[in-house]
Parts: sequence; C-alpha cells; structure tokens
Amino acid sequence: MQINIKQRLDAIINNIDQLPSIPEVASKIINMVNDPSVSFKQVAELISKDQAMTANILKLSNSAYFSKGKEISSIDRALVTLGLKEVKNIVMVVAAKPVLDKAIIGYDLEKGVLWNHGLLVANIANAIALLKKRKDVADVVFTGGIIHNVGKVVVALYIKTVYKEILDYVQSKGVPFSIAEKEVMGYNHQEIGEKILVKWQFPPVLQSIVRFYAQPDQAPAQFRFEVSTVHIANLLALMAGIGVGSDGLYHEFNRVALETVGLTEAEINEIYSKIPEMMKQLKELQ
Amino acid sequence: MNNTLINVGVAQVKISSSPTILRTILGSCVGICIYDRMKKIGGLAHILLPNDQAAGTNPEKYAETAIPLLVNQLLKNGAKKEFMSAKIAGGASMFKFDSNIALGQIGERNIEETKAILTRLGIPLLEEDVGGHTGRVIDFFLEDGRLKVKASGNEKYYYKV
Repeated sequence: MQINIKQRLDAIINNIDQLPSIPEVASKIINMVNDPSVSFKQVAELISKDQAMTANILKLSNSAYFSKGKEISSIDRALVTLGLKEVKNIVMVVAAKPVLDKAIIGYDLEKGVLWNHGLLVANIANAIALLKKRKDVADVVFTGGIIHNVGKVVVALYIKTVYKEILDYVQSKGVPFSIAEKEVMGYNHQEIGEKILVKWQFPPVLQSIVRFYAQPDQAPAQFRFEVSTVHIANLLALMAGIGVGSDGLYHEFNRVALETVGLTEAEINEIYSKIPEMMKQLKELQ
Repeated sequence: MNNTLINVGVAQVKISSSPTILRTILGSCVGICIYDRMKKIGGLAHILLPNDQAAGTNPEKYAETAIPLLVNQLLKNGAKKEFMSAKIAGGASMFKFDSNIALGQIGERNIEETKAILTRLGIPLLEEDVGGHTGRVIDFFLEDGRLKVKASGNEKYYYKV
C-alpha cells in the first residue's frame, strides 16, 4: 500500500473543508422529502431564498425531461404540478452539477463525461424502480444515480499516480478495480464518497448507495434494493460506453443485485437497448 | 492542426471527409470505422447490439443494420466499395459476471456480428482492437484513415487503409 496516499486521504476526510460542498438548500430539502410534517410552503420558502437555484429549477421544470406540459413559472407551481419528490430531484441535478461536471483526470474522464454518466445512471435506476413497481424509491435511486461516484472527484488526483499499480493488482489478483483501489491507496472512491455524503448530511439510504453500489451484497438489508438498482444501472451505462474511463469494465456484475431487484434477462436487455433513447432525453440536463 | 472533431454518440452513424476526426467512447459497443483511401472520406458507426430482436426503430443501434447504412452513406457521397476498408474497436466485457447474465457476453456477440456483416458486404477488415475489459476512446483520422485507440492510459495507432 502507498502509505503516503493513505495519509493524505486520511487528512482530507478528517478535514471536511477539503471535501466538495453542495448548496445548503440541497441538504435541507433532501431530508424534508420524507418528513410528513413539512408543507409545500416551507419548501417553496427555502428554495426561494436562493435566487440562482430558483432560476435553474424553473428552467429544468420546463425542460422536456421533467415538464408535465404546463408552463411552470414559480416554485409553488413546480411543487403542485411536479410534486415534492420530483422537485427534489431537480434540486439535486442543479446542486450536484458543479461538483461532478468536470474533468476527472486519473480516471481519464473528460469534462462532462462523469456528469452525463450520473444522469444516465439516475435515469436507468429510476426506470428499473418503476418497472419493478417501486415508485416509492424511484426518486431515491435517481438521486443516488446522480451522485453514486462522487468520491471519484476526490481520489482522481491520487489514482493518476498509482494507476499502473492498481491495474496490476486487478490483473494479478483477479479482483475488481475498486477493491484494488482500496488495496493500493488505503481507501476506494466509494468510502470517500460516503464521507462526502456524511458532510452533506444526506440520509443513510444515499450513503449506502454511494458506499456499496459496487458491492450490493454488502449493503444493509433494508437498503439493498436501492443499492442494487444503482449497481445494475451503473454497469449498464458503462457497458454502453457512457462514463467508462481508465477503470474500464474492471467491475463485477453482482448476482445478488439481480436477485434483489428481480429483473429478468428480457427486462435487463430491454433496458440496455433503450440507452441511446435515454441519452437523447437527457440532453437538456447536460 | 485545426481539424474538426466530431463526437459520435452511442447508436449513431456519422460520416465526414479529410481532415475531420471522428471520436467515440466504447465499452461493450463496437466502433466500426470504414475509409475510402482514394476519396479520403470515411465514417464511424457506434453499435450497441448485434441485431434487432424487437424490430425497433433505430437502425443505427445494431451492427446488422448500422454497417450497411454507413456503407450506403459513403457510396452516396462518392466513395467506391473497392477502395473501402474497415477497422474495428471495442466489444469489451465485464471483468466478472455471473454466467446467467447473458448481457455479459454482449461485447463478443457485437464483435462476431460486426465481422459477419463486413464479410457479407465484402469490406476487408484490416485492423481490430477488441475484447478485454478496457474502455476505449477512439479517434478516426479521415486525413489518412489512421485510428488511435486510447485504453487503460495507453495509446495505440493503427495505420492500414
């Protein structure tokens, strides 16, 4: 193991100022969604305090992807027309973009690639949840899809210096890339991602998605469906070449995930074949 | 060098002429690069699947339909079949997958179908950079038909046309 890298990552996670930030409104709203005592009025007031956020939310509310056909000109209208969970998803798209829409050097991802990948994974995960009649978690896996690999933003710099060593470990030991990441650097990007979500005060289910999306069999049982959905969505996106970087397809397609979600082979093939159409729908969010 | 770079998305076919560069990023998909060495025009098809099981609507998605489409577009733009040749890249598979997951073999099936279609169309396949578990960023240079493949941090060039 590269002790110097582990020490630097230790220092980063022990000083949360060094981890990426997200607008406070995103942290607040994500915890309001599941609180039955919260009113639309409270949410609208919270969002309206952030003018830039408000403008971006209105723009996306009227995009082909989120629009329900009616012109939306205020946050109140957005909440009534689209619902609280959908508005929360829009807030997440707006809030996460500055964190993820950049070049990720060590993983060889040009600017925009990680962001587009997150949007596609969100969309696939959402589609899987709806297909499996789990509308109750469709918005959670959408958010989880967007941010599932946020830890890459932090570890990319270090990956660059030890990439060859990680790849050698993958090939000599026959383990997936993220296990080799941990072996070489002391942490993998999922663990760092979990720390980022703790800083953002995101709920436990999202922390689990970020932490276990590559190993859904290790996720806490109560979140395994959500984690497995993002696991499958991530791998389908990578196979289609959306977001594939220097870690390539050195990942594991976990059988437990398929069993947990209950996807048939025909269903998974159908979703995979729809990826080009999904990419078109997502264009406006890029 | 001020050559135009065109990004080719998944399930897209694009053609252009020298000195344009056609770029795409591949996982299990296959990128088919066809070049007319006399006319210096060429095109890239980025296919997702070997063939259309559901009689869908997008011919650019499948090897079976996208490659003939690409060849026809080149012919319409003045290319001649006798001067055409192909290079292909991609078709990677997931490092570890359960044998019950047929999608794990989609990379290999894409490669097989691509080769079969090229053979059927009589277009010689001169170079291939396929299989394995790496993602690939490919640049197809229409000034001379060379192909650059970037995978796992390494770059490789294929020059035959």
